[in-house]
Amino acid sequence: MSDVVAFTIEALRQMNFDVDDADSGTVFGPAGVDLDSLAVAELALRVEDAYGVKFGEEDMERFTVMTLGEFAVEVDARLRLVDGAPA
Amino acid sequence: MRRTARDGASVTGIGLVTPLGDTAGFLAAAWEGRSGVRRPPDGHPVAGLLDAAGIAPDIDPSTVLPKTEARRVDRFVVLAMSAADAALRDAGIAIGQDADPARTAVVLANSFGGLTMFEGEAVARHRQGRTAVTPYLLAGMLPNMATARIAIRHGVRGFTSTISTACASGGYAVAEALRLVREGVADVVVCGGADAPLLPTVATTFSNARALASGWTDPAEASRPFDRRRNGFVLGEGAGVLVVERRAHATARGRPGYADVIGWGVATDAYHPTAPLPDGAGAAESMRRALADAGIAPADVDYVNAHATGTKLGDAAEARALRAVFGGHAPAVSSIKGATGHLLAAAGAVEAAATALALRHGMLPPTHNLDDPDPECDLDHVRKAARPVAARTALSTSFAFGGHNACLVLATHPGGP
Repeated sequence: MSDVVAFTIEALRQMNFDVDDADSGTVFGPAGVDLDSLAVAELALRVEDAYGVKFGEEDMERFTVMTLGEFAVEVDARLRLVDGAPA
Repeated sequence: MRRTARDGASVTGIGLVTPLGDTAGFLAAAWEGRSGVRRPPDGHPVAGLLDAAGIAPDIDPSTVLPKTEARRVDRFVVLAMSAADAALRDAGIAIGQDADPARTAVVLANSFGGLTMFEGEAVARHRQGRTAVTPYLLAGMLPNMATARIAIRHGVRGFTSTISTACASGGYAVAEALRLVREGVADVVVCGGADAPLLPTVATTFSNARALASGWTDPAEASRPFDRRRNGFVLGEGAGVLVVERRAHATARGRPGYADVIGWGVATDAYHPTAPLPDGAGAAESMRRALADAGIAPADVDYVNAHATGTKLGDAAEARALRAVFGGHAPAVSSIKGATGHLLAAAGAVEAAATALALRHGMLPPTHNLDDPDPECDLDHVRKAARPVAARTALSTSFAFGGHNACLVLATHPGGP
């Protein structure tokens, strides 16, 4: 399991969501963890804080239809951008 | 429109979360003269800042909220929701089964909104920056959230509103309930108030304003309405919710209730942001309007549940107002704030409930700590012990910063409870 997926599951656990059976195939939407818009916003903040990435308002709606694995790929891609950016 | 028995209103449910506990604990302690005021224990947010406070029981937020939201809602909302649950349970009402959701209303008052949550987030932002601030702040702290979340939890789809008239708020909420019933808008109104002001900034500003009782070694002695040695009020927290129901609706359900709400009166001082009119004229006018609305004379009033908080100016002004309204007729008077402290927006609702309970049980609660009545507050005080009186009609008074004055008239049922 990727580091970001494990971090996301732990963050959702701290937010009191039921993630006992969650894995990279679990969706954020009603068929999965069932996050509302405020929960997606809080998760985004936690990831921004932990990984130093930035999300825009337009990202929020996309996240709600992603799986945890797809979300991790997205975060990893942005991490590479952060790492590769000029200092 | 001439009122008839058909659009009268009864208190059919009471839910309290107070420094004396729930309704049963409140009834036992306030009537027996036990105090709920104590020194904030170590670890409490106002420990070391206040010598005495009216601290309500801890309520686990997950008992009234989904667990994913439980830690993101201010305490005032949790207190209000818990009291509303208890009031509806007491009334035997499940909205949708026993009451039409479209003809059910919620009117919850508060003075502060969710300042506890706001202060926590402000401190976190200062220390840790942007990502420390929860996106749930507004959903947890806006003043309307007690009303909104009670409506969400119980499926209320009728009239909903939030009142904020500081320490008179709870009285205004019950008055609004009576108006909604009389106007035919609602069969059932979940009404009352809640405040959770025991946080460092609020405790400090009250303290800096020299408004709070001070210098008492025993915190249980600090709140002393009408007493010669009173020197301020005791800050408290809590919630009081009443189910006010159209009497015919209640009768059809076989629920006579505790008492009827038969009149309301509001008047405004237009004088000063915090001080009352020294002669109590605004307070007196609200009493007269309430009696006129109820269609009764001063001599019909057997008991007054006073607002009296234990401040020098406020108690004296209220006593003057009572003497001006009642003249030679001296109804029995007591203030439960001696036992609870001042619950701010919850006070008027908790005290309307206390008034209904006094009528229902034929027993008037005493003013705790009224050892030596101030000659400036010469009234027929109920003190030292509860007084058995088969009172039929009672007045409950609520006054506030801002010069808001609200009074309610409650009465036993014409044919008995």
